[in-house]
Amino acid sequence: MTCEEFERVLPELGSGHSNELEEHLKSCLACSDLVGDLNAISQQARLLQASEEPSPWVWKSIEASLQQEGLIRQPQQERARTLVPLLGWKLRWLVPLAAAFLVVFGVLMHERRGVQPELAKRGTPPVGVVTADLMPSEDQQLLNTVAARMPSMRDAYEANLRSVNAYIRDAEQSANSNPNDEVAQQYLMNAYEQKAMVYEMALDRSLP
Amino acid sequence: MYRKQSTAIFAVVMVLVLATFAAAETSRKEFHFKVGRRASISIINQYGPISVKPGPGKHVTVIATLYSDKVEIDQSKSGKRVSINSHLLEGADATTGRVDYEVLVPGDTNVTLRSTTGPLHVERLYGDVIIEGNTALVDVRDVSSGHVHIKTLNGAITLTNVSDAHVEITSVSGDVALNTVNGSLVHVNSSTGKIHYDGDFGEAGDYSLTSHSGDIEAIAPYYASIDVVARSVQGKVENDFPLLPEHTSFVPRSGSAFAGTMGKAASSVKLLSFSGKIHLKKR
Repeated sequence: MTCEEFERVLPELGSGHSNELEEHLKSCLACSDLVGDLNAISQQARLLQASEEPSPWVWKSIEASLQQEGLIRQPQQERARTLVPLLGWKLRWLVPLAAAFLVVFGVLMHERRGVQPELAKRGTPPVGVVTADLMPSEDQQLLNTVAARMPSMRDAYEANLRSVNAYIRDAEQSANSNPNDEVAQQYLMNAYEQKAMVYEMALDRSLP
Repeated sequence: MYRKQSTAIFAVVMVLVLATFAAAETSRKEFHFKVGRRASISIINQYGPISVKPGPGKHVTVIATLYSDKVEIDQSKSGKRVSINSHLLEGADATTGRVDYEVLVPGDTNVTLRSTTGPLHVERLYGDVIIEGNTALVDVRDVSSGHVHIKTLNGAITLTNVSDAHVEITSVSGDVALNTVNGSLVHVNSSTGKIHYDGDFGEAGDYSLTSHSGDIEAIAPYYASIDVVARSVQGKVENDFPLLPEHTSFVPRSGSAFAGTMGKAASSVKLLSFSGKIHLKKR
């Protein structure tokens, strides 16, 4: 095999080397160096820093997809013709910024839509009233553990868990309604502390 | 004849009494440990009272009364740490597994008690006191200069004459009563239990009495020196003292919140409840 023949089949190197190719690489220093350089470039390309500016076609493809979704409009031809150099420069920086903003906004909206039905399902029971179906599964597991170790204490633990869960529910509502209120945060911390104490006592302390 | 009848009756009574004692099968065990300064003792007793008082010298004396052979005492000592554990055997319950403890310790001993039923009593110590009880009644009195940490589910807690202490109390539904309690930190966290404080709030202390739905009543003398904030989200709030207004992060609303200072505002006092009533009373 000659060097010219080798360069012709070079693009197909990724799919595997034939014996002939291997023999040529072993005997020809120039072609071997060429393959080495190409491999080094390939590895370096993977390590490209994010700060390095991508080529213009990246911005153009983002612009195209934003236009497709109707999020940005094609500027008018006349204005585009006269302002293309200026706008082109501005768009280069605005488009990725706008894309990032839209992604974050979309995620937030999705999460809010997801949370609201959950809150609506829970409803707002009156203070101090705990409905039976609000006992989380972890609490049920805890009660089963208590029942197995000390059946006589199960009812006491259930009553206490219901009180604490009601506390947490009210405290969470208060904290959500008043996120800057230190007292509301204090209620929440206290409520969680109570829950933690109940779990600790059930699982670790006082039971045999 | 009359004498013979009396003797016979007496004999029958004695037999019955002895039979009762025999049936109870109580047994008493005593343990003695020699310890140094700032020793610590830990007692885990599922069923039965534990009473801890100061004793002479550098000795720990444990007197245990067992109510059946379905419970045994595991005891150990490692350096200055003494550990006592009521080990319940198969078939033990609240009656047969009961052990009554009377413990004498040096005054500076750190005490840790854990029980389901209690009651638990500690007095006249100046080491740390850590108590955990599910339904146990807890009584701590005449304790000073240490950390007092108490946790119960629905056991009532009473602290009397506790001074210069770091007090943290958490109870879900047990009522908490603090009589003449002061220190650098006094925190009570209750869910549905009532909180009652009767004292002068000391000096330079941080007092926080918080509940979910339990009522909070604080009784203080006219000379109390406090910076007080009281707030109930859904409950009623009352105040018997003329307070100097102060700036707060919330708007004090008559009937649901108040804030202000008395005297030199030496101690910070927070009375917070979600739906319980709060009353700051003048003694």
